[in-house]
Amino acid sequence: MMFGEPIASIGAGARRVAQEVGGIVVMTGQVLRALVPPKLDTRELWKNLYKMGNKSVAIVVLTAAFAGGLMTLQTGPFVKKLGATSLAGWAAGYAVLREIGPILIALMFSGRVGANNTAELATMTVTEQLDGLRALAIDPVRFLIVPRVLAMIVMLVALTVIGDLVALLGASVVGHFMLHIDWSTMYFSFADNLRPTDFLHGVYKSFAFGGAIAVASCYFGVTVRGGAVGVGRAVNAAVVASAVSIMLLDFFITYLSA
Amino acid sequence: MSMTPAPEPAIRVANVSKRYGDRRVLDDVSLELAPGRRLGLIGPAASGKSVLLKLICGLEPATTGAIELLGTSVVGKHESELGEVRKRVGMLFQNYALFDFLTVAGNVCFPLEQRGGLEPASLAERVANRLRAVGLAGSEHKLTGELSGGMKKRVGIARATVADAELVIYDEPTAGLDPVTTQKIYDLLAADQQRTGATVLAVSSDVSALAHFVDEIAFLYRGTIRYRGPAATIADAPDPLVRQFVRGELEGPLDERGGDDVR
Amino acid sequence: MRERITALGGGVLEAMRAARELWLTYVATIAGIVRFRRGGHRKGDIARQMYAIGNRSLVFIIVTLGFIGMVMTYEACLQLSRVTGDYSQIGSQFIRLIVSDFGPTLTGLMLATRVGAGIAAEIGSMKVTEQIDALRMSGVLPIDYLIVPRFLASLVMTLMLATLGGAVMYLAGGLTAHYSFNVNTSIFFDFQYLRMRHVILMIVKALAYGAAIPIVAGFCGLRARGSSEGVGWATTAAVIGASFSVIVLDFIISAAALFLTGGDL
Repeated sequence: MMFGEPIASIGAGARRVAQEVGGIVVMTGQVLRALVPPKLDTRELWKNLYKMGNKSVAIVVLTAAFAGGLMTLQTGPFVKKLGATSLAGWAAGYAVLREIGPILIALMFSGRVGANNTAELATMTVTEQLDGLRALAIDPVRFLIVPRVLAMIVMLVALTVIGDLVALLGASVVGHFMLHIDWSTMYFSFADNLRPTDFLHGVYKSFAFGGAIAVASCYFGVTVRGGAVGVGRAVNAAVVASAVSIMLLDFFITYLSA
Repeated sequence: MSMTPAPEPAIRVANVSKRYGDRRVLDDVSLELAPGRRLGLIGPAASGKSVLLKLICGLEPATTGAIELLGTSVVGKHESELGEVRKRVGMLFQNYALFDFLTVAGNVCFPLEQRGGLEPASLAERVANRLRAVGLAGSEHKLTGELSGGMKKRVGIARATVADAELVIYDEPTAGLDPVTTQKIYDLLAADQQRTGATVLAVSSDVSALAHFVDEIAFLYRGTIRYRGPAATIADAPDPLVRQFVRGELEGPLDERGGDDVR
Repeated sequence: MRERITALGGGVLEAMRAARELWLTYVATIAGIVRFRRGGHRKGDIARQMYAIGNRSLVFIIVTLGFIGMVMTYEACLQLSRVTGDYSQIGSQFIRLIVSDFGPTLTGLMLATRVGAGIAAEIGSMKVTEQIDALRMSGVLPIDYLIVPRFLASLVMTLMLATLGGAVMYLAGGLTAHYSFNVNTSIFFDFQYLRMRHVILMIVKALAYGAAIPIVAGFCGLRARGSSEGVGWATTAAVIGASFSVIVLDFIISAAALFLTGGDL
């Protein structure tokens, strides 16, 4: 049992993470630079918006409904026991708008759209289509990546907004049918206690999450190596990186906006 | 299974059709292969050869028809019921299908381990013998990622033949190999078959090399068997379609689109 | 408009068929466990899988759950500071929620992405390179050989990681409360409301997620078709399917618990 081995592997792991973080930062720079001046392929943008939105609406809506219901299940009994049913909506709603909603929706988005995006770009890289684009003097970053990044950010923000509303609805449904809390009680506790800033807080987060998921998924897509196996690994790396980024960003945004 | 005086055919395909949705890939194919014989299967790309192989092994279900592998029906059987008969078959896949989580030795050893009943020492010996026979002596510990295409093919052949199976199926054993290696491979396959008396089914697009190895050749065109006859005279087959294909002529009844197939 | 409805109907039928096959995969896995001795496994397969699932997810779980624990505590303390200013209950309630829900569920979600993607990618690339067919030709059942070890390993590892993740969350939360809101650690780390039923819930959830993830991921992997795109599709489907299963299972188990305990969680 060598003592040096675990340390060496931690070191190697840290180096790999640093390499990937560096690569992602570089790609972010490339994307930003390509946006100034904003000359992008609008057709690609619309195509991606449609594709990503179409793919993810169903799963996000379902997830949000369950998440909202879950929050009520967790907080409702407690609130009822304290006799403060008028706060039932607040307890669930607050958590949903500020935390659970954006995070869960971002995770599902990363799994559905992010992973798909990585898989597509990875397949294109493995089949040398990106090289083909470069040979035609088309910049892959401008043509492929920037529209996808923008589309993913816009889509995630939109989905978070929709998802938040569905989650509140889910919370109300569960509250009504399983905890016997009145519709109107739920509604008023939402309206009285939840402020627009709570809502916006979640939206800012989704903006950041969208950017992180987008860049990570594109990065791992185009840096893929090695055929079909590599594609699988790229998707794996992308979802893991997205998940970690989501948690980290959530942390920083929460702290910074307090 | 009844006891008949005549030997059971190693493979029996009767009126088999295979459809993927609307696409008919195989249409009323019938085929019998007597034990100990060598049959070659040729045809244009996408004529259904690989699909037929899969059906014979029960890897995919036929749409209609009966298929018997070594006397056992493979139609309508559950996966777990096919294990026993499959262990009596050795198969070389077109893209090698080597297990990338095992070493070369692990790959070649695999069929033997699954059959069971062998000591680890004799397992290792048989693996070493097989690897030597295919010209890969000493490669036991290599991983599949370290091998060239030709080497992978030879490991595939070793794996297909290590258990001295009653029936061996080769899907494109020499595709992508140079003529000298091609000949060496066929010499090896022929020597194996002489030794074990196994039945052989070989699919190949290299008709001339194949013709020296097998006894008979069947020509699969657009999902049906157009012709079946002795390998030695395949270039002079009565069917003009077959002649054109075998001789590699550009003009003739063969059109550009060979058929429908799906990989 | 009619096209959409047809598409929707088709989608529902498709989903039902997939659900049925998923259920069959689960049954086949259990059958495979019963048949374990004859599965033709390599020695140490389960241990290898436990390493792949457990050890390699360790840092990931610690980091993600640690951060989430910090954020949740921060938000809760922030709200409380505006309402009552009384932090005495926060630790004791937090641990109750961690054990009965957040610990296992967040761990489950994180593992659904990481382990789900990993298993689907592995098995998916084996499928498209015909290794699965090669296994079948050697008389091996893919479910027995590939999925059963991962299933057993995942059950064990998800439970262990959920426990660890929960502990990390609590610790991180306590530190946050202490350093940002000056909550005394002895007040925060208070287990008085923790009951056996919370622990049971944690175990049930962790085992449920641990069971669902490899089955969904293995199922998607075995259905990969084509080449690279097939693997990509399988991995994507696995992440989504596994994550969604975790959420739905959480909901079902929580609702059932609520029902059984008469509303007293």
